[in-house]
Amino acid sequence: MSFIDTPTLSLLQRYLDLTAFRQGLVASNVANVDTPGYRTRDVDFQAELQRAQEAGPQVEEVPGLVERPDGNNVSLDREGLLLAQTQLQFRVGVQLARVEFRRLLTAINEGRQG
Amino acid sequence: MNLFGVMDISASALKAERQRAEVVASNMANAETTRTPEGGPYRRHHIVFSTAKPSFPQALESRMGAASGIGGVEVREVVPDSAPPLRRYEPSHPDADADGYVSYPAINPVEEMVDLMGAVRSYELNSSAVTASKQMIQQSLEILR
Repeated sequence: MSFIDTPTLSLLQRYLDLTAFRQGLVASNVANVDTPGYRTRDVDFQAELQRAQEAGPQVEEVPGLVERPDGNNVSLDREGLLLAQTQLQFRVGVQLARVEFRRLLTAINEGRQG
Repeated sequence: MNLFGVMDISASALKAERQRAEVVASNMANAETTRTPEGGPYRRHHIVFSTAKPSFPQALESRMGAASGIGGVEVREVVPDSAPPLRRYEPSHPDADADGYVSYPAINPVEEMVDLMGAVRSYELNSSAVTASKQMIQQSLEILR
C-alpha cells in the first residue's frame, strides 16, 4: 500500500463505484417503467460494500413490489426516492474523498515547513 | 458502467416516451379520419416497448465480468389496433357504404388522454434521472478541486 492509497480512499472508491452502478440500475428501472413484463432490479448495497469486488455487483430482482397486469412491477415512488438517495450518497462519498485528499495535502505541506 | 452510460439509459427512455406521445397525438388527430392510403378508416395505433439490447460497451463490460443486464428501453414496433371500426349512420357522407353507414376509427379520446398523461409523467421521471446523473458527474469533478 502506497502513501496515497489509504484504506479510507480505497473504501471510498468502492463506495462511489457502487453508488454510480446503482444509479445505472435505477435509471434502467425508470427507463423500463412502461415495458411489459419488466421486473425491478437492484443490488444489496451494504452486502456489496462488504464484499471484495473481484466480480461485478450481484443484481437481483426486488421482492415484494406490486405487479401490474402487464407483468411490470416498477414503482415510480420507489425509483424516484432511490434516485435522490443515490445522488446524495454519491455526494457524501465525494466530500469524504475531498477531505481525505486535503488531509494528505496538509501532511505534505506541513513537512515542507519543518 | 460509468455515469455517462447512465445518461444513455435515461436518454433511450426519453426518446421512447416521446415516440409514445407522438403515437397518441396521431391517434387523437385522426379520430375522425375516414380515408387512409391503405383504404378504410384510420386505425388506432399501439406502441410496443421492450428492453433494449445492450450497446457495445455494455456487452463488452458484461463479457469482462462486470455485472450486466441493465439497459435502456426501445420501441419494438407500432402496431394497429384490431378493434373493428365504429359505424355511424350518415347516408349523405361521401364515404358512406351501400347501407348508409360510415366507418369511423374506434378511438376513445379519454383513453388517449390518459395514455398521454402516462407518457408525460414517465418523461418527467426520466428527465429527473438525467439531471441526477448530470449532478453526479459534476460532483465527481469536485474531487479534483
